Amino acid sequence: MVVSCFVYPSLAQTPTDATLMAKGELCVALSYSSENWEKYWEGTLQRDNGNIGTFTRQTVMPMLALGVTKKITAIAALPWMQTKASAGQLRGAEGLQDWGVWIKGEAIQHSFAASTLKVQAVAGIAGPASNYLPDYAPFNLGLGCLDGSFRGIVQYEHQRWYARAQMGYHVRGNSTIERNYYYTTTGYYTDQVAIPNAITYGYSVGAWVLPQSLRAELTYDGLTSLDGHDIRRQDIGFPSNKMIFTRVGASLQYQIPKYTSFGVLASGSYILNGRNVGQSSAFSFGILYRFGLFGNHNSNSITN
Amino acid sequence: MNTRIISFLLMVVCCCMIQSCDKDLPTQLTLDAYIFTALDEKGGTWKPVLLSTVEQVAIPEPESVNSVAYQAELAQLKSITAQLDAQQKAAIQYWGNNGLIRWNEIARELTSKYNLTPAPNPDGSYTLPDPANPSKYPNFPFSHPPYASRALAYWSAAQFDALVATWHYKFKYRRATPKQVDATILTYLPEQQLPSYPSDAAAVASVSQTILTAMFPLEKDFIAEKAAEHRLAMQWAGVNVESDIIAGDLLGRGVAAIFLNRASKDGMKAAQTPKPISDSLTLAAKARFGWFWENLEKPQRPVGITPFFGKVQPWCIPNVATVRPLPPPAPGSPAFEKDAAELRDIANNLTPEQRKIANFWSDGLGSYTPPGHWNRLASDFVVEYQLNPLRTARVFAYLNMAIMDAGISCWDAKYFYHYPRPSQAIPGFKTILGIPNFPSYTSGHSTFSAAAAAVLSHLFPEKQVQCEAWAKEASLSRIYAGIHYRFDTEVGLEQGKLVGSYTVGVAKNDGAE
Repeated sequence: MVVSCFVYPSLAQTPTDATLMAKGELCVALSYSSENWEKYWEGTLQRDNGNIGTFTRQTVMPMLALGVTKKITAIAALPWMQTKASAGQLRGAEGLQDWGVWIKGEAIQHSFAASTLKVQAVAGIAGPASNYLPDYAPFNLGLGCLDGSFRGIVQYEHQRWYARAQMGYHVRGNSTIERNYYYTTTGYYTDQVAIPNAITYGYSVGAWVLPQSLRAELTYDGLTSLDGHDIRRQDIGFPSNKMIFTRVGASLQYQIPKYTSFGVLASGSYILNGRNVGQSSAFSFGILYRFGLFGNHNSNSITN
Repeated sequence: MNTRIISFLLMVVCCCMIQSCDKDLPTQLTLDAYIFTALDEKGGTWKPVLLSTVEQVAIPEPESVNSVAYQAELAQLKSITAQLDAQQKAAIQYWGNNGLIRWNEIARELTSKYNLTPAPNPDGSYTLPDPANPSKYPNFPFSHPPYASRALAYWSAAQFDALVATWHYKFKYRRATPKQVDATILTYLPEQQLPSYPSDAAAVASVSQTILTAMFPLEKDFIAEKAAEHRLAMQWAGVNVESDIIAGDLLGRGVAAIFLNRASKDGMKAAQTPKPISDSLTLAAKARFGWFWENLEKPQRPVGITPFFGKVQPWCIPNVATVRPLPPPAPGSPAFEKDAAELRDIANNLTPEQRKIANFWSDGLGSYTPPGHWNRLASDFVVEYQLNPLRTARVFAYLNMAIMDAGISCWDAKYFYHYPRPSQAIPGFKTILGIPNFPSYTSGHSTFSAAAAAVLSHLFPEKQVQCEAWAKEASLSRIYAGIHYRFDTEVGLEQGKLVGSYTVGVAKNDGAE
């Protein structure tokens, strides 16, 4: 049974897109997402488990994005989750997962005729926001460690089209469990678990189907743990597993033309392949509201 | 621009502070060699567990330290100790002068490694590990708690007998240590005044190798490598000449064979019963009590873990009937409903402290099991009290014989009463730990722990309060997890304490006190 790890939902104003807020502009977003899986990978072996049936995770996540300057946006998120299984005797879990704060800055913005090239950098840190137990696969809300990340984002825009590539390196700390001995590939006499560093990446193409109003995007993204161990046959997942997945997703964002402060979002994703993770299908909905908090904010951040 | 560089560097520094490092985490106990608090010169007169006489396994009389043969060995030892490489020095540091602590750690590690339940086949059936074909999935063994208790009991009881015999020969022949014969020889472990023939470390290494290889056959090469290193480390450390090692090895293997002979006939082979026998136990409980336990996994495991472990030959209790507890309250009775209500209440209001206790003592799949947990605690006592190998073996022997007897007694109750788990008897009840594949009454954690606490309290009187508190906490942990009713744990504690009292009775009369 696999453990769950932090996965960004595919919504706007996230650390993985190229959106920057106008100076003084605040965006408040609230999203709901639901992911479920029946199959998971025990190491590289894809299997199901009669004692899990269908695993479900529901997340409610408030998010804030603030334009600190024209070129720097600060983002914060605090997801609440609930996990459960349709079969088996284990109780699910619920509570706050990981707080996260990110600073996104523009490094380059260069316009040619009808095109624009944007290069951005994001630095972020996330960590447990409650005392959830990371050693409770597959119901654990998260990995229970601090996660510092650096990310580069490159976006090329041409008229209403855009393409984006992003990649981040996650430096992870130790996670604390409630046993002082555990066995992975050897025994450990400690309650500390070293969580492997990881790379997350994504490639997106999108378009403003209706200018300044409806945006559609397709994404291929993934996570690769740079270390860690496989779940052994019929063993339980553990936070130091070598987790890998690739995923496809699609999202729509709609800004109501007459009330441009409001937006709604919807997205879906599916894990194509993985290792020590569940093969999730997920969908999410979100609403967002933007308003000026300080400064002159007549620019329209929602356009690219 | 400067501020950007500074912020970038700050972020890098922040991330370096976050960075975990697997290599910094301890994978073994930190251990420094120590001077034994006592040598137990009379140890050779203690009553062994199985040996009929302390000379049942014969070793040759050693050559005198003045002999040409010994002097040649000494010269060889001198040249070995004069040119150690870093790896050899690390091995000396690792094994120290009480290798039982390391072998106990290795036994616990192997228990964890093999403590995985078989996966279901695609058609929903299960295949069991086959001792005749250990490398075929599912690998042999599945080292569940009864298996672990037995492996540790044979390992430690054999160590005790081998070291009683070792002490007998040491003080019979009184061969001086290499350092006593030649003060110029380099030694890398604290000097003890124990006669050096036969080598106690070699006896320990060879008992460990023989017993653990039988218990974990797929680890044969790994264990052989460890044992060879342990024996050699005593030469590298300048503690033993080769003939000390050879005699210790001979003695260790001989004593271990006597224990494996007992193991081959102790009833364990029949403990994992076929389904018809298992079903007959279910039916018997249904007829006798009106209730029965069943495995609720999907697909259902057709037979619980070792239904006939209660029929395995015990060490110190006369028989299981003597220590069998009274029946549990019937499901639906007021006594049952009271404890069921407590479980529901705890499940709905679990405190962080209760969750922590449940997990700390979980000792479930992939762990060293409750028997392993108590061995770890005992091992810490051994180091704290700086016991010599013979005293150490005595601690582990009585501890693990008591734990195995507790397991035998507990399993007898489990399959005799065949009592349903809370998750079976309370509609909709869920747990925070995996439910073991055997009946509820009495609690294994409680029985193992109380027996272990009884023995450790006797051997380390200053630790009595601590040990009893641990046993109590281990038993409560199962209520917090939703695995057991309070009556399972309270009766289990009494049962374990009673079992342990028989072991303590044997210990009181072995001549060591």
